[in-house]
Amino acid sequence: MEYFIQQLINGLTLGGMYALIALGYTMVYGVILLINFAHGEFFAAGGYIGAVVLGYLAGHGFLKTHPVLSLTAAFVLAMAYCAYLAIGVEKIAYKPLRKASRLAALLSALGMSIFLSNGMMLTRGVYDKVYPSELFQGRFDFGLVSISYLQIMIVSLTACLLLGLNLLVFRTKIGMAMRATAQDKTMSALVAISSNRIISLTFAIGAGLAAAAGIMYGLYYGSVRYDMGFIPGIKAFAAAVLGGIGNITGAMLGGLIIGMVEIFGAGYISGEYKDVFAFIILIAVLYFKPTGIMGENIDDTRV
Amino acid sequence: MRKKLVSIVAMGLILVPFLFGSVSAKTLKIGSMSPLTGPYASDGTDIKNGVWTAIKVFEEAGGIPGFDKIEFFPQDTACDPRQAVAAANKLINLGVVGVIGAYCSSSTIPSSEVLDEENIIMITPASTNEKVTDRGLPYMFRMCGRDDDQAPAAAKFLKECLKAKTIFIVDDKTTYSQGLADGVAKAAKALGIKVLGHDHVNQGDKDFSAILTMAKQKNADVFYMSLQGYSPAAMMTLQAKRLGLKSQIVTQDACFQPKFMDVAKDAAEGVYLTYGYTDPTTPEYKAFEKRYVPKYGKIAAYATYAYDSATALLKAIKAAGSTDPAKIKAELMKLDYQGVAKHIKFRPNGDSGSSYIAFKIENGKFVPYWEPKNGLIKK
Repeated sequence: MEYFIQQLINGLTLGGMYALIALGYTMVYGVILLINFAHGEFFAAGGYIGAVVLGYLAGHGFLKTHPVLSLTAAFVLAMAYCAYLAIGVEKIAYKPLRKASRLAALLSALGMSIFLSNGMMLTRGVYDKVYPSELFQGRFDFGLVSISYLQIMIVSLTACLLLGLNLLVFRTKIGMAMRATAQDKTMSALVAISSNRIISLTFAIGAGLAAAAGIMYGLYYGSVRYDMGFIPGIKAFAAAVLGGIGNITGAMLGGLIIGMVEIFGAGYISGEYKDVFAFIILIAVLYFKPTGIMGENIDDTRV
Repeated sequence: MRKKLVSIVAMGLILVPFLFGSVSAKTLKIGSMSPLTGPYASDGTDIKNGVWTAIKVFEEAGGIPGFDKIEFFPQDTACDPRQAVAAANKLINLGVVGVIGAYCSSSTIPSSEVLDEENIIMITPASTNEKVTDRGLPYMFRMCGRDDDQAPAAAKFLKECLKAKTIFIVDDKTTYSQGLADGVAKAAKALGIKVLGHDHVNQGDKDFSAILTMAKQKNADVFYMSLQGYSPAAMMTLQAKRLGLKSQIVTQDACFQPKFMDVAKDAAEGVYLTYGYTDPTTPEYKAFEKRYVPKYGKIAAYATYAYDSATALLKAIKAAGSTDPAKIKAELMKLDYQGVAKHIKFRPNGDSGSSYIAFKIENGKFVPYWEPKNGLIKK
């Protein structure tokens, strides 16, 4: 039982991070029907900005005296940077292709992904960039179950971000405009919603969430590297498809499912098959329900 | 029209490097193969830097009579067997005389077969799997040790020094890491150590919480970690500490990289690993340190071996006075000198001997701790 609970906690932490990344895929798909393969790179860039900011603050001793403030600064800076990066990427790589075939935009996304990850390799080097270890040391022990402070921080922050996004999309005017654009671009333009601005905003929000996941990832695993966006990117993409691409509640659910299945597959069967299980679930769901768990485009939840 | 002109000029510019390649006549071409991108890029870059240093040192000492200069072609294998074979073919087309590499045993084995068809000498600084030299290729040499020497040394260390009764093993399924993990499992069983579990993770994994929870539940005396490269191993060590794993962590030569401690930090303290013994007090090592450290930073796992491999190759070419592989091989076999990492003397099968000892990480440094013959090393 203790073993099960421990694995559940592990799965929740991992799944939460996948969910944050998956949202970016699903939101962009909802608005412009594009799989943004460069999304994993926003996640990596966020992790790097976090490492740079926290490293700088730790170097000046600020991290020890004001840990919460430093962490907030890192999150805000990384999320803002990645939001602007995503807007830039959209303007350069996707906007000129909006009228072209969807395949062209997809290839452009793949190219952007390679460009960004190699750019990070050339500017930041091939070695791991280390996160300062002073933050959130320690854990609670309940018998064999142990929960580290980091896991608590990550899970609660993820929950806050997911809740905040839900409020934004379903309770505000901006959210309404986003949903309207997703449903019908022409019609929403007729009621004075600028689709260009909404598309930029969607990219920015998605990349901001990925950047937050990038910092959590750096804190949790101790370091970041230029190629770290690739595998979590693929997993999060799978999560978005699993939940029903285009559906934000589905992406959250999909992320948690993929994270849990991976951890339980590794914990109860074997570590080498954890990816296999994650993708078996994906195939199984798509076989019986090709639009994913929450379905695509069935009601107005699409963004 | 202008667009056309621009594209013609651009095409011309692309062709320029190829033109220059074919003009140079009296140059000696040396290649290296190691992962310069991907998860093992850092180790691969160390190998490239080691070879570079060797070439620079050799050129400053007067170069090789009959050649104006030594040209170096570092190739990226990405630790991928297919890319390694492609890199080997590229080096063949470039007309290299010898190749230093590769890093991953799974890259070295297939690419050496391609190089062997063209009788090109290959010296691996880092591939420890037995099969590298056991296939009987005439031009395959190895500067580092062998896993079938490392595994028994590690098992002996577990038994005699750590007095371990149980062990839990994890590897990441490469030719090297799984081969070594299997070897340790076998050697440990032979010494009466009970293997409580042997699980695998995938290359590129960063989250080891599930497998570490399993290891924590089994609570073996020793947690043996055989991963390809220091980076996943450092992450696993860090996560193990955070989860409260009580087993003693023991690992292998791929973690002999100061960056292991940069990533794992406090969690690295007290970790043991097996690695070939290098005497840091020899004048050769000190000279290398003086040259390498200011330019590339701390000396890592395979920089010294790469330096020795390249130096041995250049020495043999110089002595042979030709690029005939048979003559170079004859000279390589005659070599008998103190290198940076070890004393260099090749055996008929291409190996140069293993000297595995156990190191302990203390205060962020690798400290020689135990040797198979005499037990604990006194400071």
